[in-house]
Amino acid sequence: MNLDEEKELIKRAKKDPDAFGKIYDEYYSKIFGYTLKRVANIDIAQDITSETFFKAFKNLWKFRWQNIPFSAWLYRIASNETSNFFRKKGRKTISLEGISELISDSNPFAEIAEAQEQLKRHKEFLDLQKKISTLSLKYQEVITLRFFEKKQIKEIGEILGKKEGTIKSLLRRGLDKLRRQINATN
Amino acid sequence: MMENKNLIEKLEKVSLPKIEIASHKKRLKLALINEYFREERKGDVFNIVRKLAPLGAIAVVLVALIFNNLIFPKYSIAEAEKIALNDPQVKEWTEKGSVIKDTEIIDNKAYILIQPQKEIQKAAESLKTETSDIKEEFAGALIEVDFKGKKVSKIEKIVPEITSLTEKEQERVKEISTNDPEVNKIIPKEASILKIKTTPPSMKLKREDDSVSVVPESNTDREVKIIYEYNQNQWESKIDLNKEEVKSVNFLGEVPE
Repeated sequence: MNLDEEKELIKRAKKDPDAFGKIYDEYYSKIFGYTLKRVANIDIAQDITSETFFKAFKNLWKFRWQNIPFSAWLYRIASNETSNFFRKKGRKTISLEGISELISDSNPFAEIAEAQEQLKRHKEFLDLQKKISTLSLKYQEVITLRFFEKKQIKEIGEILGKKEGTIKSLLRRGLDKLRRQINATN
Repeated sequence: MMENKNLIEKLEKVSLPKIEIASHKKRLKLALINEYFREERKGDVFNIVRKLAPLGAIAVVLVALIFNNLIFPKYSIAEAEKIALNDPQVKEWTEKGSVIKDTEIIDNKAYILIQPQKEIQKAAESLKTETSDIKEEFAGALIEVDFKGKKVSKIEKIVPEITSLTEKEQERVKEISTNDPEVNKIIPKEASILKIKTTPPSMKLKREDDSVSVVPESNTDREVKIIYEYNQNQWESKIDLNKEEVKSVNFLGEVPE
């Protein structure tokens, strides 16, 4: 989806639930993937993703197009929610209203268990993530976005609302701290 | 000793998890779409409420301050609630979406009513992996706080009385739902009624001399849900029996094969 198509879809989404559904389908995996790489925990990633989309939905009406992709705005919310999680060190309560239960539904336990097993198999990633999570939040954000989300410096700047020079400097210092952290534990 | 270039190479080449939880994706989408319809119904009223919300919050804080400092200077509600929330069981319930509904102080004891907060609880549950058995397990509890011991001294779980509808009431409920324009707009005419469910009432504390009991709120909503099904899709229509009107209509999703 290019920027113009995205812009048109966002405009429609403010009035049309189908368009909102399309936006959701487009970005759910990206946001869930990002939060999972930040927290390395399936349950917490689900919670943060839910909160991110809930906030995006609530604030869609005040989203102003500033020639930055909508995805950058969503990543920014997800980043803030992740930071809130780390600051509070606790689980958040999802505050969506009016959700109803299905009378019968598939049991998602098996799916979660399988996902957890799948995550455990990425041992090298988990080791790195664990070390990254000991750094300050500002370094965690830039390192995850740059190396795990494969974002360019300009995109990271858009997401975090910072200048490219600042992002470069944060990355440099963050990597330096991470390297020292790894060398100290080895 | 690892160099920076080795670290960058390691970060660039590490195998990353590509995981997706389909059930969470589906449930969250349903939740958001339902919320979309709900806010659409609220329309301008919602926007006004949203704008006034900060003022309301300030007013609540001021009232709470006056209440706690002037009316109960010795043993405050805030203190009682703080003690209660330190109890592991109470903490667990609140973390799962229950809220403090009512508090009474008698001498050196406080009585706190805790109940699942309907809307929030449903939201949290629908996004988590709990079964319907777990959902219906907890209807609330009366917690006794001992100020002197600074601890929770007793917890009594509430067993709510759910009165079933008479045949006449069931017919009336169907009629209200069938005649509602929103129901007709969202739910296909061919859909059949699968179930009519009543929900337990909200409770409050009733103080009598030196004792406290849990009673249903007199002005509480009597809510009934009608579940419709058509072509393996399900919808629900929530009806306020007191007002005799449809409160909301929600698409529940597809019934798995």
